[in-house]
Amino acid sequence: MEGLVIRDLSKTYYDIYMGQHVAAVEAISLEIAPGEFVAILGPSGCGKTTLLNMVAGFIPPTRGEILLNGRRIQGPGPDRGVVFQSFALFPWKTVLDNVAFGLKMRGVPREERDRIAREYIALVGLDGFEHRYPHELSGGMQQRVGVARVLANNPDLLLMDEPFASVDAQTRMTLQEELTRIWETRHPTILFVTHDVEEAVFLANRVVVLTPRPGRVRESVAVPLPRPRSWQHLIEDPDYKSLVARVLGLVRAPA
Amino acid sequence: MTPRDPSGVVAAAPAASRPRAAARRLEAGLWFAAPLVLLVLVWAAVVRFYHVPLRVFPAPADVAGALLQQARSGALAGHSWHSLRRVLVGTTLAVASSIPLGIAISTNRHVAALFTPILRFFSVLAGIAWIPLATLWFGYGFGAITFIIFNAVFFIVLYNTILGVTSIPQVLRDAARSLGANRWQVLTEVLLPGALPNIVTGIRTGMGFAWRGLIAAEIIATNAGLGYMLFLARDFYRTEVIVLGMILIGAIWVLLDRLILAPIERRTIERWGLTRAVA
Amino acid sequence: MMPLRRWLRRLLTYPAVQGAGPFVLLVALWAVVVQLEIYPRTFFPGPQDVLRSFVNLVYKGVLPTYLQDSVTRLAVGAGAGICVGIPLGLLIGLHPASYRFFWPLIIFFQAIGDIAWLPILLIWFGFTLTTMTFVIVYTVIFPMIFNTALGVRTVPVEMIRAAQSLGASRWRVLVEVLLPGALPNVITGLRNGLGYGWRALIAAEIIVGTSGIGFMMFDARRSGSVVEMILGMILLGILWYVVDAWILRPAERATIERWGLVRQTP
Repeated sequence: MEGLVIRDLSKTYYDIYMGQHVAAVEAISLEIAPGEFVAILGPSGCGKTTLLNMVAGFIPPTRGEILLNGRRIQGPGPDRGVVFQSFALFPWKTVLDNVAFGLKMRGVPREERDRIAREYIALVGLDGFEHRYPHELSGGMQQRVGVARVLANNPDLLLMDEPFASVDAQTRMTLQEELTRIWETRHPTILFVTHDVEEAVFLANRVVVLTPRPGRVRESVAVPLPRPRSWQHLIEDPDYKSLVARVLGLVRAPA
Repeated sequence: MTPRDPSGVVAAAPAASRPRAAARRLEAGLWFAAPLVLLVLVWAAVVRFYHVPLRVFPAPADVAGALLQQARSGALAGHSWHSLRRVLVGTTLAVASSIPLGIAISTNRHVAALFTPILRFFSVLAGIAWIPLATLWFGYGFGAITFIIFNAVFFIVLYNTILGVTSIPQVLRDAARSLGANRWQVLTEVLLPGALPNIVTGIRTGMGFAWRGLIAAEIIATNAGLGYMLFLARDFYRTEVIVLGMILIGAIWVLLDRLILAPIERRTIERWGLTRAVA
Repeated sequence: MMPLRRWLRRLLTYPAVQGAGPFVLLVALWAVVVQLEIYPRTFFPGPQDVLRSFVNLVYKGVLPTYLQDSVTRLAVGAGAGICVGIPLGLLIGLHPASYRFFWPLIIFFQAIGDIAWLPILLIWFGFTLTTMTFVIVYTVIFPMIFNTALGVRTVPVEMIRAAQSLGASRWRVLVEVLLPGALPNVITGLRNGLGYGWRALIAAEIIVGTSGIGFMMFDARRSGSVVEMILGMILLGILWYVVDAWILRPAERATIERWGLVRQTP
């Protein structure tokens, strides 16, 4: 069974200050087919990042199971690449070494992994910057490196945790367009967590809206807007606008 | 889930859990003591098993005996008091002089340019290297040792004051000025409170150095105090008194630091809504 | 002829002047104070006297020997301290059980301090190099442990997760992420450790020594030669400056500054 299958997933924490158990996420069931672009949306604190962390394997679920291509998830791994909001680039490595990191972990020899890395650096539009250090790049450029680093590793699933939240609005729009362009050419499977409704509808094929805490799936909304997509067009598109309005209503609806 | 902001600090515990916090602190104290107790047991076993003679190393029982003997004769209290007194006086003088200088250096470019290279040079000479000269100028005993202490604390508190003041974001000072504060008020309302956590950390660290420098100074330059007691015992090969002295030196500092200084430091930091992992 | 003010301002822009300027002023002030005989010359000698003594001792071959002895002891002690301190710091930084076990012991032994060990060390080893090396190692170890532990603990968790989700094994995470991430703090620890080690060395030489700068200073005290005391202190200051400028700061520049990292204050 290909793709991501999440069945009856729950996560509960013990809060030492309140002295009680708190559910972050409850009984979530979700399926993502290969090549789909799914956005997870919800109000603050609804557990969407917790959900992503469980799929990534960083934290274990309290109940339920997560299957990727038929296999249970056991901890983090290169089959699920993660793009972080804070970029998480290695400051002591150049752009080239950062992007080649996953390949190095797999034992790919230097010449080949540098070649592959350069391809992906060019893909995200950063050729010429291979030998710079992350701190010399702007936020938008750093995130591009983050995306290239994950793509170079060819994961089965791409997990993105509010990746454009730390970047200014105009750069964000550029990065969103670049991401859709990449998806439209290569069709990776993407699970994209965000709190930004317009971003979610712009990027995804399908938007899953969670309830406020504890997060449950409220509704799954298909986004049949034509591709390729660009901000210039969609901003006046009536279908886009009504979708955004509908999803916004779902996000803001009371528990 | 406890609120966690991106920098990873955790909000302070609400008042309702105070008794629980006290119980937790007791538990922490026990956990702290456990490896030390284990060490004492291992120590006793090793001395017994290898038949270590008293001349080489005492058993815990011998040290306990020395403790009772010294305590009864009043020598213990006397030496401890001498040591503590020097630390307190030296520290007070150092703090009183380093904080104003630190503030001056952080706020005035010219003062900074003048003092910084000199201070960097002298900071390495802190403490011990001054002993020969200090005994010549101040004579043996209280004067020289207090000078050593002063030296140890002065530079640390100075650097921490500078660090504290310079890391106050300029916007806070600007905000104060644009709300009508004059230079003195900016100092007392913004700079001092803002630098206080760092200053307190500096005092705590400085006193740590002072304590260690004190012992060295007492060995060399006086006839009272714990360091002196330590060295005197060596002349008579009374290892149980030596080890007693070592344990006391360690224990007094651990208690002073953990029970008094660390909570003060923690509380000044907590007042500003931040807690850090305090070593 | 240029106005004096502008000439002075131009002079002050040279970094050499900025660095050495205050010292020149200080030495000048010193010379003036000595000339005015505010304190008796025997108690408070002037720069010329110190310089004369310096030349004299170098000529006699005494000073280079003492310097070499002191530096060798420090290097050996510091090296050993680093080799023990960093692995131990890594262990307690990464392994919670080790932390719980070792932490109270480390705190207690640090509180005892290096010098307090001297009496028992003298009984065991006498006035030898072993005693002095022990003292220096003892001093260097603690900052290395603390700063290394702090360094690994403050590596952002997302960086570790990023490496994991790129397929890094536990060993790889240690080598590729934790160690470089901890490096700024390790260098700070090294800086502190060397500073304390220096001071411990001098103290040990004063109490125990038969040679070395510390010994020279205390010996001068006994013979009342203030000049040599001050010479010793100046040499110490210069030596530290050299270590700082030629060893520590280049290390920092090659790592911390090149990578744009910020140090965590403990």
